[in-house]
Amino acid sequence: MKKMKKMKQLCSILLVMAMLVMCISACGSKPESGNEEGSSPASENVETAAGEGESAAPAESGGEKADVPPLKGPGNVTLKRLGYNVAWDPTSDLMVDVLKESTGYDVEYFILPAENADEKLVMEVSGGADYDIIQCSPNQFQTLMGQGALVPLNDLLEAYGPNILAGVTEESWRACSDEDGNIYGIPYKYPYAQEIASFMACRWDMMQEAGIDAMPATIDEFYDCLVTLKEYYGDEYIIFSGPYRAPSEGNGTWIFPRVIAAAFGIYNDWMVDENGKVYYMTEAEGFTDMIEFLTKCSNEGLLDPDWAVNTSTTVCEKFAGGKAIIVQMNRNGLGTTVPAMLETLDIGYEDLNYVNALKGSDGTCKYMRTEAINFVTVVLRSSENAADAINWIDLKQQEQLFLNIGVEGTHFNYDENDGSILPINPIFSDERGNSYWYLDSTNEEEFSTQWPARIRKSQAQWEGFEATTLYANEHMPEIFVNNDFAFKPATEKYSKYNTALFSSLNDYILQIMAGTKTLDDLGSFQSDWAAAGGDEVREELQAWYTSFYN
Amino acid sequence: MSVFAYTVMGLLSLIAILPCLHVISKAISSGPEVTAGNIYFWPVGFQLETVKYVLTKTAFPTALKNSLIVTGFGTLISMLTTITTAYPLSKPDFKGRKVITLLYVISMVFFGGMIPAYMVVRSLGILDTYAACILPFAIVQFNMFIVKNYFESLPESIEESARVDGAGDMRILVSIVCPMSKPVIATVSLLYAINYWNNYFHAMMYTKSPDMNTLQVYLYNIISNSQDFVENLASGNFMINITSEGMVAAAVTISLLPMIILYPFVSRFMIQGITIGSVKG
Amino acid sequence: MKALAKSSAAVSGKKGWKYEVRSFFTYVKRHPAMYLMLMPGLFFMIIYKFVPLYGILIAFKDYNIFLGDNPIDAIAKSDWVGFEHFHRLFSSSQFMKVLSNTLIINGLKIVWLFPLPIICAILLNEIRKVTFRKFAQTAIYMPYFFSWVVIFGIFYSLFGSYGTVNTVITALGGSRVGFFTDTRVFRSVLVFTEGWKEVGYNTVIYLAAITGIDMTLYEAARVDGAGKLRQIWHITMPGLLPTIVLMLILKVGHILETGFEQVLVFYNPGVYDVADIIQTYVYRLGMGQMDFPLSTALGLFNSVVAFVLIVGANTVSRKLLGRSIW
Repeated sequence: MKKMKKMKQLCSILLVMAMLVMCISACGSKPESGNEEGSSPASENVETAAGEGESAAPAESGGEKADVPPLKGPGNVTLKRLGYNVAWDPTSDLMVDVLKESTGYDVEYFILPAENADEKLVMEVSGGADYDIIQCSPNQFQTLMGQGALVPLNDLLEAYGPNILAGVTEESWRACSDEDGNIYGIPYKYPYAQEIASFMACRWDMMQEAGIDAMPATIDEFYDCLVTLKEYYGDEYIIFSGPYRAPSEGNGTWIFPRVIAAAFGIYNDWMVDENGKVYYMTEAEGFTDMIEFLTKCSNEGLLDPDWAVNTSTTVCEKFAGGKAIIVQMNRNGLGTTVPAMLETLDIGYEDLNYVNALKGSDGTCKYMRTEAINFVTVVLRSSENAADAINWIDLKQQEQLFLNIGVEGTHFNYDENDGSILPINPIFSDERGNSYWYLDSTNEEEFSTQWPARIRKSQAQWEGFEATTLYANEHMPEIFVNNDFAFKPATEKYSKYNTALFSSLNDYILQIMAGTKTLDDLGSFQSDWAAAGGDEVREELQAWYTSFYN
Repeated sequence: MSVFAYTVMGLLSLIAILPCLHVISKAISSGPEVTAGNIYFWPVGFQLETVKYVLTKTAFPTALKNSLIVTGFGTLISMLTTITTAYPLSKPDFKGRKVITLLYVISMVFFGGMIPAYMVVRSLGILDTYAACILPFAIVQFNMFIVKNYFESLPESIEESARVDGAGDMRILVSIVCPMSKPVIATVSLLYAINYWNNYFHAMMYTKSPDMNTLQVYLYNIISNSQDFVENLASGNFMINITSEGMVAAAVTISLLPMIILYPFVSRFMIQGITIGSVKG
Repeated sequence: MKALAKSSAAVSGKKGWKYEVRSFFTYVKRHPAMYLMLMPGLFFMIIYKFVPLYGILIAFKDYNIFLGDNPIDAIAKSDWVGFEHFHRLFSSSQFMKVLSNTLIINGLKIVWLFPLPIICAILLNEIRKVTFRKFAQTAIYMPYFFSWVVIFGIFYSLFGSYGTVNTVITALGGSRVGFFTDTRVFRSVLVFTEGWKEVGYNTVIYLAAITGIDMTLYEAARVDGAGKLRQIWHITMPGLLPTIVLMLILKVGHILETGFEQVLVFYNPGVYDVADIIQTYVYRLGMGQMDFPLSTALGLFNSVVAFVLIVGANTVSRKLLGRSIW
């Protein structure tokens, strides 16, 4: 009886399994027939992936001009462009019409999700998505390029992208090319080379009330300043709040102020010493001193007790609400908080001040140049409109000033003294506020003078920018050091491991500050870190650095 | 007993509702006060600009429409499937009951991962359609078990007599079992509606056109990038009431409303004894 | 009908499997509609739940999504690596720590929060004033619609070191409590906020179950002179038992899987010691790497544990209470 029952169960299970197998095989064969959406030359995809793209790619790029596909022209084609996530709807922005009018092309816009963007991107692309143009992060670019999903652009650029070729500098191109010189993406370079992107904003009125009469210029003065404030205000106010990091960025961004790190000679996670040796932040001379400094501040109650919890939102709220005296900030944060503070706290611009750079005990300060590739625009191998995609990007770049900043007299005026661009609000924010998302390539030189208009549209942002970046550029340009890896092409190990490595470092530092770990654990942290890919990344960076600079 | 019930439930309601009031207040308070964190449980400097902005200047209307369609059709399909699955499985003498129930348990526990699920949706050609947001979630095992439990608790006698009168299984289910099960049908419909309404991850994975965005996808975009969004507005100093926190609060509050409005309708059916009594009488 | 089924079961014990098969076909012939009814559900289950199970193979492969024509083809084309990904998962020095955190946090949640919705449903059922009942029901149900990111925002402004609650505490002469940073209270924050979000939703399920209880039983009890508490204990509770058992079995079954999103939003490195759970740990491990095999391996591990627990809990419940899911 029992046996029979088992038999029966077995039968039904077998039946279900059979159905399953049928379904799976049906599913497996489907994509070939039902590929109308992707229409990707899938076999080609496999070949390049298997052959590491070495044999296939150069042959193609080395081919004759005749190989370049012809233009279908505006009106005959609808381009599909996928970009990074934004909160507003890029299909209904005014810019869609402006771009259509200016270039003649119909373009459909899509955005990646706010979370799991990488996963969704690779799933769509490997499954044969029908996008033509994708604007991706350097890491995403590396993944797609490494898997042979992208079209080499050399010939296309030569045929249809003269403006792009002219506007992008040689070093930026190198960041988007493989070892054989095949270009796989169009780089967007951050337009300001020496910006102090992260600084500290202070309530100058409260500092003066506590008896401070000069802004701190060295790390020791800064510490004294914190102590004075603590003695005067006690537990009533948060003396120094941070870190300023977007909630969605998780632990990927710096959790300690770059301004403080700069005083200890730390300006990047990976640095290079004078002998050309690549080293990690934890191996820097000033690293333990910096951690000890932060721990000391934390133990003496000079830091926000919720330092590990804070995000840009909570830091902004504490500053705007008058609960914090000194906060780590960036331009965007000023744009949100300062207008509110002027309204609710009864203070003026003269009551705010900024710490832009602190000199260390040896009198130096190292701040990294902000020049780097922010994102890369690529054309998918499966795209049938590669020529038109490049043409469209080229047409956009021809009209760079109009598309990004607007029309003189309507959206902006030129400053009589220095010729810089003064935006006219609110029409500038209304009609060109979101133009940045539609940007693919730039004429890098021109854009570096056009871009500051985007900061200038807000007085709060501009005041901070003047007091930190412009001041530092004028009075202490020596603090800026080169980012040795700014134009490093996206590489495999770095793309794969670096985010997790840096996040584990941030975690470790926060754990020290919270008292659950100590500096004695540094050794074990470093060995874990090395095992988690740290050594592989170091090797890769060292190899690139040596070959690039020799 | 009843004093105790009133006190405890009053207290719990207060705990539940105060943080909600906090969000609602943020949605309708003056921008600078919101940024400064001065809002507790009551609006300061009342304004409706933010709500108006969310309703007219963002993709909210499209997202709302999509969510309503998905939730409406989805709940309907789910209920049909769930009831017709739960009924046979609730019969102790139904042959194959154990095996099929076990299959549902297995399918509830094991999960093949994001990639194959995405590829199934893709191969069926329903990517980026409403069907992609509905069909994969048509049956939630847990909800099916609730309905099955309820069916099992119904008195057998009424069905028996109908069967003696010659009614088939389908007719018994439609004209006898379902009317007796109004409370659970109402409740499980609500659970399904909530499920569809709250579905973020799959809605995000299975759609790509901005005009297919559901409310949750829209909300996540706003929550993740609101600061960018309002930077533009705040910068010119001309729309000071619209702040990133206020925007999030307003969008969250408005998207909450349909589900809150739905609840009293459902709870009408959740009064003890009425339905069974009426059938019996 | 029932009698017939019973007798056939009794007889089948003697008559062997041929009889069993025959009685199966007799049943199918007699109730074809029953099997037709099952079809839509089975269809959805097979297509959307069982077919994707093929992807579990990813856990045993060196998966590269770009191999082959599409991500599914890539599974077949990727090389086998055996249990390497599981080894990566379990061999870490952190694994025992995060496993115990997971069990403790989700265990605490079951202990504190599992009875609450049952109590709420019973109490709501005692409330006769319809307006108050509706208000209370809606009020506790509302929080379910907030995502964890929003909930964190709300609770941080209330419970942060300089938040509303701490302002009150310091005003009363106390010292600030680090609700989000103190390892001693952090788990309580997790349990409390989870309760805040979920209790109302679960109450709805029990309320529906209460409506299924036969009113005549209460009348009979009242005639017998049973008080409110006795009625609840002897009628309401047994009536709720099937739902309670179902919910408890599933809660226990998913003890390794729940709470990921909440912890990810709420925790910080300062409280990793008490708050880091398996999924957050694996999330950080694979950050930025799109480590599909690792997450699939974790998913499979969780599934197997859940399946064993559910089968176990179901057996225990059948033995002790005579109730089971299948």
